[in-house]
Amino acid sequence: MRPGLGVAAVALATLVFLVLPIVIVVIMSFSSAASLQFPPPGFSLRWYHSFFGDPRWVRALTTSTLLAFASSIIALVLGSAAAYGIVRGRFPGRGLIDSNFMAPLILPTIVIAVALYLFLAKVGLLGTAAGLVASHVVLSVPFVVLVVGVAIRSFDERIEQVAFTLGASRRQTVLRVLLPNILPSLASAWILALIASFDEVIVTLFVAGTYQTVPKRMFNELVLEVNPTITAIATILIGLSVLAIGAIGLITARRGGLLGTMLGR
Amino acid sequence: MRLRAGVAIYVVPLLVLMLVAFDVPIVLMLAQSVLSPHPTVAHWAELADSPIYLRVLGNTFQVATITAVVCGLIGYPLAYWMRGLRPGMQLVVVTLVLLPFWISILVRTYAWIVVLGNNGIVNRSLMGLGFTDRPVAFLYNQLGVTIGTTNVLLPFLVLPLFAAMLKIDERLLQAAATLGAPRRAIFWRVFFPLSLPAFAAGLVLVFILTLGFYVTPAILGGGRVPMIANMLDVLINTLPRWELAAAISTVLLAATLALYAVYRTIAARAA
Repeated sequence: MRPGLGVAAVALATLVFLVLPIVIVVIMSFSSAASLQFPPPGFSLRWYHSFFGDPRWVRALTTSTLLAFASSIIALVLGSAAAYGIVRGRFPGRGLIDSNFMAPLILPTIVIAVALYLFLAKVGLLGTAAGLVASHVVLSVPFVVLVVGVAIRSFDERIEQVAFTLGASRRQTVLRVLLPNILPSLASAWILALIASFDEVIVTLFVAGTYQTVPKRMFNELVLEVNPTITAIATILIGLSVLAIGAIGLITARRGGLLGTMLGR
Repeated sequence: MRLRAGVAIYVVPLLVLMLVAFDVPIVLMLAQSVLSPHPTVAHWAELADSPIYLRVLGNTFQVATITAVVCGLIGYPLAYWMRGLRPGMQLVVVTLVLLPFWISILVRTYAWIVVLGNNGIVNRSLMGLGFTDRPVAFLYNQLGVTIGTTNVLLPFLVLPLFAAMLKIDERLLQAAATLGAPRRAIFWRVFFPLSLPAFAAGLVLVFILTLGFYVTPAILGGGRVPMIANMLDVLINTLPRWELAAAISTVLLAATLALYAVYRTIAARAA
């Protein structure tokens, strides 16, 4: 059964509604005008110059990058180990522990932000790098547990058993048999965690103290005024996201793809 | 089996981190609304007695309802249309729907200021075509918040719905057609009921996610559309009234978990 013309019209309009804002931001970032006039009167790179020429933005970019790398690597290591324990283990409470690891995805981020703020203030870690990194790990680790968990589940356990029977230690079994086979999923999980941390704004606003990240600065500027420099940053962030999707697409292309996994096909 | 013995150890490092940096903070926050500075229900009484808090709660539920309905009205036709496309086109459209999914909420919210602002493309077109003399106020009101929230949350409804529609057996529709059912009847009496569980699950999911929204109302509402999350920000960072913030967070947490249970039940039926 094929949908009629009316449905197609609504569908196309909805698709435009989804994608149009992104396209327009990218175009506006190359505008030569200080107002948000569309179409732009001329093209220039002035907003990119104004971004990279402003030490506060560059510092925020450095902080965001360091924070994203630190927290995503911790999330990848801890989350992958946990995924292995949950998928291969047969101990009581596994389901509960798994739900616990997934909870940060389901609870409203603002509730987590309030809870972490109150807690970090109580233990004196509010506004510290340690508190910030720990918060970002909590928020990005569900993606790792989810993606790596799926990969381990679909890897035939008997291959691990063979290695084990042939005298490999568990360490060797995990590091030299399992890990090389799920490398694409590990890479995807790491990229997801990296993006989750790099884009995080709400918890960062609450617990970062004097640390400035790119999203935090963007948010604070946007609440006050509309500054075209933001279009340049937004375009850079869009570019990074597209690169990340492309990378994940390439990495997982051979295995049915992340799209396939997400759509359950 | 020896390979499986002792695997539990691998869970421990993350479990310890989650206990310290997630579970304990959440429990302490819940406790703070009734135990600070000593066991009391005063904070909850204040919450129940203050019309302003109840109004913000009501406002949040209203925005969440409107957003879910709008997402349903435009998301269902999109998913239905995607189902009828050739597989190659399907991949392109799925990628387009997924694209905003990956881009920072901040960027997508900001984009609407560019598009819908007084000097934005929509207002310029409307004025250029002579529909209006003055710019239409799309932003800094409930309309702006609804547009922004719908844009951010639409993929959460469309993608699972599309996946569920793909699983509907084409032969059921053919059977209805062979038996003489007109197109309209085939859709409303065969196709739509089959897609309903996934559709309902998507609507509940959008509703839940809107409840906790912070960034979009803060930017596109211009402080004029207070939602729960923005009120929490004020209670923590401006006033500060931590115990009240803890009580309101508890309400939001309970509402989310209850709705999530509903979502899981419906989604399980859809699968």
